[in-house]
Amino acid sequence: MSADTVTRTIAAAPAAPRAARPRMRWGSETIAGAIIVGGLIAVALLAPVLAPASPTAGDIGRRLFDVGTNGNILGTDGQGRDILTRLIWGARPALIGGITPVLIAGVIGTALGMIAGLAPRIGRSAIMRTLDVLYAFPAILLAVAIGAALGPGVVNSIVSLAVVLIAPIARVAEAEVLRVRSADFIDVARASGASRALIAIRQVLPNIAPTLIVYGTSLIGLAIVYSAGLSFLGLGVTPPEPDWGQMLNDLRQFIYDRPLLSLVPAAAILLASIGFNLLGDGLKRRLEVRDGEALL
Amino acid sequence: MLVSTLKRLAQSVPIMIGVAIVVFVTMKLIPGDPVAALLGPNSTPASRHALTERLGLDQPLPVQFGSWAISALHGDLGTSISLQRAVGPLVVGAFLNTLILLVAALLIALVGGIVLGTLSALRPSSVLGRFVRGFTLFTISIPQYTVALLLLLFAVETGLLPTGGMVTTGQSGPGTVLVHLVLPAIAASITPMGGIARLFSTALSDVLHQDFITSYRARGLAGAAVLRHAVHGTIPALLNITGLQVSYLLGGTLFIEVIFAWPGLGQLVFQAVSSRDYPVVQAGVLLSALVLVLVNVVVDSVHAAIDPRVRA
Repeated sequence: MSADTVTRTIAAAPAAPRAARPRMRWGSETIAGAIIVGGLIAVALLAPVLAPASPTAGDIGRRLFDVGTNGNILGTDGQGRDILTRLIWGARPALIGGITPVLIAGVIGTALGMIAGLAPRIGRSAIMRTLDVLYAFPAILLAVAIGAALGPGVVNSIVSLAVVLIAPIARVAEAEVLRVRSADFIDVARASGASRALIAIRQVLPNIAPTLIVYGTSLIGLAIVYSAGLSFLGLGVTPPEPDWGQMLNDLRQFIYDRPLLSLVPAAAILLASIGFNLLGDGLKRRLEVRDGEALL
Repeated sequence: MLVSTLKRLAQSVPIMIGVAIVVFVTMKLIPGDPVAALLGPNSTPASRHALTERLGLDQPLPVQFGSWAISALHGDLGTSISLQRAVGPLVVGAFLNTLILLVAALLIALVGGIVLGTLSALRPSSVLGRFVRGFTLFTISIPQYTVALLLLLFAVETGLLPTGGMVTTGQSGPGTVLVHLVLPAIAASITPMGGIARLFSTALSDVLHQDFITSYRARGLAGAAVLRHAVHGTIPALLNITGLQVSYLLGGTLFIEVIFAWPGLGQLVFQAVSSRDYPVVQAGVLLSALVLVLVNVVVDSVHAAIDPRVRA
């Protein structure tokens, strides 16, 4: 072909498609979860503004009004306190009790998992075996035992849950590190003279982060349920501070006359849990991370 | 297989020792002086000193742990402070009741979970599949105590099933236990059912996408027969998740037992926590953890027995 024909042939060819950029498809799950979680955070932050009445001062003359009463749309509890108000204020300890232990356990667990994953065989065995001991306890019983030892209170509840969550997070982190560690770019980094710490932080961590973030999000849902459970058993938030789990235990005794009342905090806990689980599921699908769900 | 099981048992001994140490340390964390608590505020220093020596609390911690562990191995786990009875038989008896609840709940969860998981794996985009996925999300999110309360409400409102306890007063035998078992077992099975369903759905779906299934289909095998071949590949995952759910249930039945007044280990530990009866809490947690370690050994051994890829 003459040079002319070649040029015209090339010019006549359809333009090469633009380099395909993956479209951000967040998915309905993630959005639904984000809305619920966002709503919860908003309620918690805006509690002083949103709540119609006082969370701790009750009117005994108006005790045990059923759901749907004029003036107390979600009813009143045994001391005459408005349940809607206590529900709104209860979002704070729920979120704090759910997010803080996961953050603490996340930092410690990830660090342990990374050390274990990057360490020689002996070091890894030692760390993982020690964590296996914590893993051997049924989670709720361990939380209850530590909570019982430390006594009631939000801080103690956070500590117990954090201790319980360290081992599963460390396991996921270690498994991820082992997966990443054999990759070529790690060898390249080492060959270019990077120290082990630098490799760990700059190369390994960003690659294991998606799985850990997804796992952590679903653990927050679990932690909210557990911390409400601890309060239910009298071990977490102490009265008169409102807390969903404690409200549930408190209203349980009236289940024969006012069954709907105890369902209100239960619904709140359920909603919070579903929200974080949806978010975690959606993120997992979007980020296409491996299934860390099975570990707790 | 026997040798590897024994090896696993031997390997689990350090873990069991670790478990005992953790339980011991946890109880030592309790603030306050147990001797002062036992003798009251009017006790003299001499009597406090005498009791401290008698209880061995002046010994260094490793020695205290050693003597506690040795007595525990002999079955002496101390005396319950509130009930004034030997802790050992108390805890073991309660544990057996929990075991009944646990096995029943696990069976329901397995059957329900496998059915739901199969539906979700076979028809992922259909209305049924989406409903199942939503339902399993709901079941893993709902707290145990909420399900228990809902079922208790059902029992109270309809009067069809008993609202608590393990037997109807005056009766005995398996009949009355079974009637009382229905609601607590269903309550306890809901969350594990969701977990099993989700995992089984993923596992089955993975197996169904493998080449050998395609080759079967290409040769004309259809429907239920294909499923039969596929189920084989899901058994390791099923074993894994069952072990995990046993772990969850060992603690999770606590709320069910409290709400339904089922006289199991969970209720015992809860009452002991409320009455600061630490020997009982200690023994209860220790027993649960040790049982869990054994369960894991069994699950791992069975897994290795049926799946050669797992054998080290």
